Amino acid sequence: MDDSSADSAISRRLFLKGSALSALVLALGGAAVSAVYLRSAQARDFYLRPPGALDEKRFLAACVKCGKCAQACPYRSIVMAGGEAGVGIGTPHIIARETPCYLCSDLPCVKACPSGALDKGLQEIEKITMGTAVIVDREGCLSIRGLRCEVCYRQCPLIDKAITIEPRHNVRTGEHTIMEPVIHKDKCVGCGICEKVCVREKSVIVVQKRVEKQEDFYEF
Amino acid sequence: MNFKTWTIARRCVQLAMIALLASPLTGLSIFSGNLAAADLLGLPLADPLAFLQVLLGSRVLVWSYLVSALAVVGFYFLLGGRSFCGWVCPVGLFTELADRLRKRLGTGQTTLPLRFNRWALALVLVVAALTSVPLFEVLSPIGMVGRAIAFGSLLPLLLVSVIVLCEVVVAQRVWCRSLCPLGGLYALVGRFSPLRVGFRPERCTHCNDCLQVCPVQEVLLPSLEKGALQVTAGDCTRCMACQEVCPAKALTINAGYHS
Repeated sequence: MDDSSADSAISRRLFLKGSALSALVLALGGAAVSAVYLRSAQARDFYLRPPGALDEKRFLAACVKCGKCAQACPYRSIVMAGGEAGVGIGTPHIIARETPCYLCSDLPCVKACPSGALDKGLQEIEKITMGTAVIVDREGCLSIRGLRCEVCYRQCPLIDKAITIEPRHNVRTGEHTIMEPVIHKDKCVGCGICEKVCVREKSVIVVQKRVEKQEDFYEF
Repeated sequence: MNFKTWTIARRCVQLAMIALLASPLTGLSIFSGNLAAADLLGLPLADPLAFLQVLLGSRVLVWSYLVSALAVVGFYFLLGGRSFCGWVCPVGLFTELADRLRKRLGTGQTTLPLRFNRWALALVLVVAALTSVPLFEVLSPIGMVGRAIAFGSLLPLLLVSVIVLCEVVVAQRVWCRSLCPLGGLYALVGRFSPLRVGFRPERCTHCNDCLQVCPVQEVLLPSLEKGALQVTAGDCTRCMACQEVCPAKALTINAGYHS
């Protein structure tokens, strides 16, 4: 009696250990599989990557999450993503509304990248292609409503290239001019300074995924 | 008397590594990055496994990156074995402390075969090649510890604590010994190193004290059972604990290849 109960106690312990071990293997395996298939960093939102970043899929393949770009950034603009980024965990990105990229002319983040995830071929800030600013809330934009705001235009490091002011007649008042900020996507580098400085509580101008220029023949 | 000199030295190196990871926070510029890729006193260093994943995943070869990965491979080749695991890896420090707790509690008496980490290494490389996802950089507890120290991203430490917990409860050093693909890679590099732990069968009294302290007992068995003149090189973490405890001084530092 005693012997058999002792035997079963041991086998129960072994069973518990075995099941705990398989739980570990399952957890690791599950994490591995979900890391591969839940590509939330790509699928979910747009992550504003540091200057010179390869296109998102290749960037995620090439970034080793060492954080040297973030440590090299003098403005601490680059932050490291947490677990919410899925397969992009630990990758660098910029939250423009908090601290945008101030486009250092010597590109210290690109120089710091060891693995080529930030392309060292990038030498001039005008060639940066992080994203494109878009006015997402035209009704919220003070300039488009006819007020003299134009803060995004004034603060744009590529003023009169990436953002220009296009004056037009204010039909509503009949006697004023609307000074509308217009973004030129072939010049905008996506630094996010406009998104940072927008005076509205929620920025009406935000950096989004860059739209590639469409080749066409509709010239006139 | 030679009182745990090696262990003290090892603890100093392990803590210095953590201090280096934290050093950018203090404004010091002697170190940047983490164990995936770093700059130490202007010297670029790179984790060879991270390099391989980037190469297979992005199919881009950055020459300076290759050189810094080779420098690290060369360093650990000279030191031999899995000296990264025993001396440098911060996760290794945590799991070592967890292993002490495990011994005290008497839990997790099972051991998993060492060779599993070769499979883990193969899995990581295949996944990187097929899907472009650097699997080990995504899941690496070493990277998570590094980023937790340098950037304060604490939530991913959950995975690290799961690993430490498993090492206490499930099996002896289960992550470090059997599952870590980086350990698997360094075991492959270290097995060819000329710097080894030598064994003098004529001195050995078979007290088995060395087996009690060794984190990878498998490496001592060929010597203790068959009198091999050197401890198996690849999986030995070079912790030197066996030399510290051996009352007969049967274990030595050894250069060259003897069988």
